[in-house]
Amino acid sequence: MGKASFLVHRRSVWVTGILALLLAATTLAYLCVGESFVPPTEVLKVVLGQPSPDELVVGTLRLPRMVVGLLVGAAFGVAGALIQTVARNPLASPDIIGISQGASALTVGALTFGVTSYAVLPYVSIAGGVAAAALVYVFAWRGGLQATRFVLIGIGFAIALRSVTTLFMTKGDYLVAQQAQIWMTGSLNGRSWPEAELLGSTLLILLPAVAWAARAQRTVTMDDDTATGLGVRLGRVRLGLVLLGVVLASVATGTAGPVDFVALLAPQVARRMTRTAQIPLVSSALTGAVIVVLADLLARRLFSPTELPVGVLTAAVGAPYLIWLIVRSRTVGGKS
Amino acid sequence: MAAAPPAAARSKPVARRIALTGAAVAALAVAVLLSLAVGARAIAPTAVLDALLHGGQSDAAQVVRELRVPRTVIGLMVGAALALAGTALQGITRNPIGDPSLLGISQGASAAVVLAIAFAGVHELTGYVWFAFAGAGLASVAVYAIAARGRGGATPVKLALGGAAINALLVSVTMAVLTTKAAALDEFRFWQVGSVAGRDAEVVAQTWPFLLVGVVLVVSVARGLDALALGEDVAKGLGQNVATVRVVGGLGATVLTGVGVAAAGPIAFVGLAVPHIARAIVGGDHRWLLPMAALIGPVMLLVSDTVGRVIFPPSEVPAGVMTALIGVPFLVTLVRRKAVAA
Repeated sequence: MGKASFLVHRRSVWVTGILALLLAATTLAYLCVGESFVPPTEVLKVVLGQPSPDELVVGTLRLPRMVVGLLVGAAFGVAGALIQTVARNPLASPDIIGISQGASALTVGALTFGVTSYAVLPYVSIAGGVAAAALVYVFAWRGGLQATRFVLIGIGFAIALRSVTTLFMTKGDYLVAQQAQIWMTGSLNGRSWPEAELLGSTLLILLPAVAWAARAQRTVTMDDDTATGLGVRLGRVRLGLVLLGVVLASVATGTAGPVDFVALLAPQVARRMTRTAQIPLVSSALTGAVIVVLADLLARRLFSPTELPVGVLTAAVGAPYLIWLIVRSRTVGGKS
Repeated sequence: MAAAPPAAARSKPVARRIALTGAAVAALAVAVLLSLAVGARAIAPTAVLDALLHGGQSDAAQVVRELRVPRTVIGLMVGAALALAGTALQGITRNPIGDPSLLGISQGASAAVVLAIAFAGVHELTGYVWFAFAGAGLASVAVYAIAARGRGGATPVKLALGGAAINALLVSVTMAVLTTKAAALDEFRFWQVGSVAGRDAEVVAQTWPFLLVGVVLVVSVARGLDALALGEDVAKGLGQNVATVRVVGGLGATVLTGVGVAAAGPIAFVGLAVPHIARAIVGGDHRWLLPMAALIGPVMLLVSDTVGRVIFPPSEVPAGVMTALIGVPFLVTLVRRKAVAA
């Protein structure tokens, strides 16, 4: 590694490699399976840009949707990892404390008032998510931030923001309502290249920030005195990490709706696999991507020809996991 | 209610509590009048009274009798039911954030109703109210069982998280049903938010027997709830059968939530905010607290409904949305108090 050497956790490398393979297998399966089965060789031809009779099914219908799912999952995974790291509590994930709901409320509001431009909606979502996070933070702050208070207030805001969303939906007409209802549960149906490109470019812009976060994350997991003694401006680093997490979660929500519990699940699964002290960012991103792509594959096929929103499936897995966390946890009841 | 409370030393004088209860009745009367008078077509209070007392065939009289009276009566019943359910839940769990919607109980009732509509072909309120009871009961047992496991027992944050988890699970079930049966969506979306609009006199006639059962159950354990407020051990020492109080009170709360949801859809936070307001007014004695909650609950719901009618004309904001917005500041204040978050 030369001069820029840094510690590499061997198990993490293995896990990352295996997750990458798993993701490749899942995406291949996603592209092959559907209304009509496309053999893997044809899929590879399409992906590599060679002429193929399955160009339309794979290249136009399945591929962009899969790319969106993959990016959304990765964004949720990283977002969850960052916020959970700062909060030191898995329960402070963006879909529990109202960030996703804030992003959806403002986005559905914009849809109802006739804003349909895909160039504007991501910013609306980010604004909604950041505003919700700021509100929860302000109200939970009382001479310090206590995890249980933060989570309780977050849950309250999540409920209130969900009813704001329904408020906009009852105001809009039937078509908007149906679109919004499906979108609100998290759906990848009908996502095509413009959305994929927009999401991809937004995430690309955020990539340097994520690289910074990967380093900064380590300082936050130290205890406060050690970190401060090493000259880390803890307050700023924490704020930066949370802000990045909120923006990522909001961007993902803006594209696919609140795909529930991915941000809670992915970092926890990733961490259990790598067995590291801190939550691994790359593995979280990969796990998130695998979860969403796999869930969407199931959502497409399970009740075919009817499609379920992908959020229904992730919630069906994520909610029991949350219950397990509550039952098992030693920290939920008391102080964090 | 007639007997003087034994614990008078720590609570407010009887005369004052009677006066305060009288004031609550007056407030309720004003709320009812507003609910009858205000709307897309404003009707003068004198005309409302005239229509009620003397009948008449004018348009205003028709609107009041056919549309606004049933809606107001449903608002009264649902508001009282949810407020009593919240009071009972807070009492039996000894927990300030007990609320049917926060603990996922309303969502349980609502998911059961959706399943009944979609698969059992039930469309009558008398039919799906049973499903609502079953759903509410299952959800409340599940949430309590989840929260009571692990360290520290059923703390507020674990109850709320358990409620959030059950909520998410049930919403996912409901959504799966609704997306596969798209035709039901339009009919369902108004009901789901929690609204008292468009309910007719028939709903009132079908609802009240269940409401009565729930009220009797909850009121019958008022003394037990008082004792429980002093702590489980003290309650046992006072000769109360704690388990019976919890079971009967919980059953009452479940029935009341089921009735409320079956009649108006899940309406958030009435059960959270109202008991705390009532407690601030008359103190913690449940024989005063329960009637006060039953008076303030309808006030909150009717005012929310009335405000929702005029805030964004011509469309109406469902009452459930308004109560959620009113309720959150309450939750925030409660949680910010040190005692809750510990």
